[in-house]
Amino acid sequence: MTRPPNAAAPLVEVSQVRKSYGSHEVLKGIDLTVYPGEVVALLGSSGSGKTTLLRCVNLLENPSSGRIAIDGSPIFDRAADGHDNARISGRDVAAMRSRVGMVFQQFNLFPHMNVLANVMEGPRTVLGEDDATNRARALDLLAKVGMSDFADRMPGRLSGGQKQRVSIARALNMRPSLMLFDEPTSALDPELVGEVLNTMITLAREGMTMLVVTHELGFALEVATRVVFLDQGAICAQGTPQEVLLHPTNERVRTFVNRFHATAELMRPLLQT
Amino acid sequence: MFDWSVITQNAHLFAWGLVVTLEYTVITCVLGLIIGLLIALVQLSPIKALRVVGRLFVEFFRNVPLLVWLLWSYYALPIFAGINISKQAAGILALSLYGGAYYAEILRAGIQSLDHGQADAAKALGMRSWQAMRRIILPQAFRQMIPPLAGQTIIQMKNTTLLSVLTVPDLLYQASYVSSFTYRPMEVYTVVGIIFLVILIPSNYLARRLEMNSQ
Repeated sequence: MTRPPNAAAPLVEVSQVRKSYGSHEVLKGIDLTVYPGEVVALLGSSGSGKTTLLRCVNLLENPSSGRIAIDGSPIFDRAADGHDNARISGRDVAAMRSRVGMVFQQFNLFPHMNVLANVMEGPRTVLGEDDATNRARALDLLAKVGMSDFADRMPGRLSGGQKQRVSIARALNMRPSLMLFDEPTSALDPELVGEVLNTMITLAREGMTMLVVTHELGFALEVATRVVFLDQGAICAQGTPQEVLLHPTNERVRTFVNRFHATAELMRPLLQT
Repeated sequence: MFDWSVITQNAHLFAWGLVVTLEYTVITCVLGLIIGLLIALVQLSPIKALRVVGRLFVEFFRNVPLLVWLLWSYYALPIFAGINISKQAAGILALSLYGGAYYAEILRAGIQSLDHGQADAAKALGMRSWQAMRRIILPQAFRQMIPPLAGQTIIQMKNTTLLSVLTVPDLLYQASYVSSFTYRPMEVYTVVGIIFLVILIPSNYLARRLEMNSQ
């Protein structure tokens, strides 16, 4: 386990998290700690449980048992026998989520609102912020993700890459201390992947704490401070990207990396900039 | 063969009947929509007991003939509940509840058919479930539901004719009254049919236009 870049308190503490759907156990006792400033890439083949783990962090999915704390506050604590050790209200969960941004594979922009309204929606509805401040910051964020010219567009008239950049701006407008990315480039045409990755790289370089489920090994190699590899619901390897991906000791990781090697090489030149 | 003078001479009765029909349509549709939304939300509640109540409500009204329910509301309900209600109140209550059950099914289906990602995105921003419902889910669901809601509203208008059995002076009641002293049922009921067609065909057309505009 890599130590934090600075000895700050952990931002995410996941311990002994298990999740079952019926008799199928998707997560088998996961321990994961993320410190401020870390960019953690969650890798693994499909069905390994990485998306479920990410969705457990902001409780879009409730674990069957285990403990989760965000920024020092316990937000989930259920014993193996199903007994809740902490009474956490819907209000507490919503407050936690307002400080954790999330970007989805399918973008999930609100199709009945234009781009600017999408970005403004969180602070407007959740924080009750006044429109002037909100709008100014939203426009800044749209500029940052290169979408200034599209503020009045409806989401239905954007490309996948544009949608994803708007959805990143929407999450950032809540000024989160942690960003969760759920396969943010998996639904994109190959030529649109770069624009989204570049936005994420900028964000990482600015020091945003990020937990990223991805298939982009190139991104993991260049940007991640730590790589966590899941296999069948358990963490089977973790460490720096160089350790885990370039010199894999674990057989599962080796197979995975070989399969994606060609793609990773293709991404390299793009990421060098 | 047709003697239209019975219509022109009693035009004021038809006009008054039409006003009553439209009044009952608007009132029972608005109340029905409110009841429908409440029942739909109850059916989508995380609490099982509430879901069961919602289900029973819908099943009851979908399986009782409206005419039976109307007559029961007027004649039997006051005895059961020990209250005295006017025929107008009984009619409005019965039709609103009945329409509400159908609206509830349309609304529930519309909310459930919405991509789960929308609720996820709203929750991930920190919205409470009622905020997500109000800002994200319902505005989208309503758009998809315009055609079935319009259809149900048209059925609701046609159903108001059943109020005539409670002697509520709607269009059909007035028509049967005119028919009773003119002995010209053919002209009278033809006109009632034409009035409904003239109102509802453009309404249907408008609903379709609205649907296309919202896409």
